[in-house]
Amino acid sequence: MESLTLLLQIFVGAAIINNFVLHYFVGICPFLGVSRRVDMAFGMGCAVTFVISIAALLSWTFTFYLLRPDAPLPTWLWQRLGGDPSVRIDLSVLSYIMYIFVIASSVQFVEMYVRKFAPKLHKSFGVFLPLITTNCAILFACLIILRNLQDPAQLWGPAEALTLALGGGVGFTLAICLMAGIREELELCDVPRPLRGAGITLIIAGILAMAVMGFAGVDQNLQDAIDAFLN
Amino acid sequence: MATAAFTLILGAAALLLLAVAMACVLGWANQAFHVEVDPRVETLNDALPGANCGGCGYVGCREYAEAVAAGQAELTLCAPGGASCAEQLAAILGTEVTPSYPYRAVVHCAARRDQRLPVPKPQYMGERTCTAANLVSGFQGCTYGCLGLGDCVRACVYDAIHTVEGLATVDYDACIGCKACAEACPRNIISMVPFKAERMLVVACSNRDSGPAVKAVCPVGCISCSLCAKKSERMQMDNGLPVIDYDHYQEECDFAESIEKCRRESLVFVGKPGSKELEQVADEELPARIEAAFHTTVDETDWRG
Repeated sequence: MESLTLLLQIFVGAAIINNFVLHYFVGICPFLGVSRRVDMAFGMGCAVTFVISIAALLSWTFTFYLLRPDAPLPTWLWQRLGGDPSVRIDLSVLSYIMYIFVIASSVQFVEMYVRKFAPKLHKSFGVFLPLITTNCAILFACLIILRNLQDPAQLWGPAEALTLALGGGVGFTLAICLMAGIREELELCDVPRPLRGAGITLIIAGILAMAVMGFAGVDQNLQDAIDAFLN
Repeated sequence: MATAAFTLILGAAALLLLAVAMACVLGWANQAFHVEVDPRVETLNDALPGANCGGCGYVGCREYAEAVAAGQAELTLCAPGGASCAEQLAAILGTEVTPSYPYRAVVHCAARRDQRLPVPKPQYMGERTCTAANLVSGFQGCTYGCLGLGDCVRACVYDAIHTVEGLATVDYDACIGCKACAEACPRNIISMVPFKAERMLVVACSNRDSGPAVKAVCPVGCISCSLCAKKSERMQMDNGLPVIDYDHYQEECDFAESIEKCRRESLVFVGKPGSKELEQVADEELPARIEAAFHTTVDETDWRG
């Protein structure tokens, strides 16, 4: 039950409270670029959720076994080569390059898979799928996982990593769909000429971000409510 | 020191291994998930300019190539590639290019400002746009013709249409046929005509009223005498105006008799000047220095308080 509560907290935290787009401001390029129509925004959100989950699982595996301080693989190799057991081997400098590598490869793989087995989906994704490679929300999820694996006190397992990725993906979809809905309505509005286009879009993004700030503290209340319910 | 060397070597080895592993996986996936595509699509895609401008109406050159291969798209849609590109596409597909003609805007009115007879009503004092002036009577006598307030000029992003003496005039060196002026004109007197020749004959009047009514408001407008239509089989009268059949228009079509019969100035050639016009102005001297025309600069703002 403890771990389930933690998972719920991670999910709600990533999806709503610390929304990737509206709280951390990562993944802004698709957020502004593909939020013209709701159906396309939803497609982009689903694609990101899919890729972010795969990338998170892969990067958790690499981080846990290879990159984090005291990772089993390098430590075993170090001691096998006769190194001093008290020295900590830390490969986390490799994290960025490794994550980018993993993300790019998994996007390529997913694209090939989708093209073969779901041509219609591939057609509707179009150019967005390769573009996800450069979506910083995915790298950001990987870096959060790294941060939580560097601290031995709260060693995340694959379930936590996957939950974070799913929460982040759902939060991204939520944000981009909200934005697309507003922008569809905006087509009919009389926007002052200097603000047309990017200007009004950025203002709306800012207002949305401020609205999301209202969710701060929900996780603590959620925790309290669950505790009260259990006791 | 030993730790640093170990970390360095292990890092390099890990990255190398990962690269090799990913290359193997992706290479295998490329084989296993291989999708058969029409080989012509690749060749067609190579023949296209690759600008991905979207001018053909498809998302990128590749999609246009797919549509061409599937026979769903015309070969001549690629504007950057032009005629040579269309020929290449046709050669790949083993077909012939059917000629297509550029559509250009044509203003169906010939009356300059001093030729438009006013109406005995209060003078129009409102906003200086055609859309506003078209809402009320009292701007000018003819309720069909050009208002000359330049809605089309403002709509054109190619600087290809100007009001010359109060009449919208297309600059055919600059016009690309984007249709913006035709959509902006509140009186719908600008239409798109396929330019099958450098110079095209057009009916330069939109007034469908009977002769006396036209004569009361305009000295040059069409009076529906239908003499031109009797002299040429490519012209027909339609609701008080002659209509030229552009589907069967050819450069060598002879409209001389029709033009001769027209007692007004309703049948005019537009487009690039022909040899006769160039001969007429051949002995005119060009000014040594050309002064800036202020009506084409930013000062042409219609600000009237």
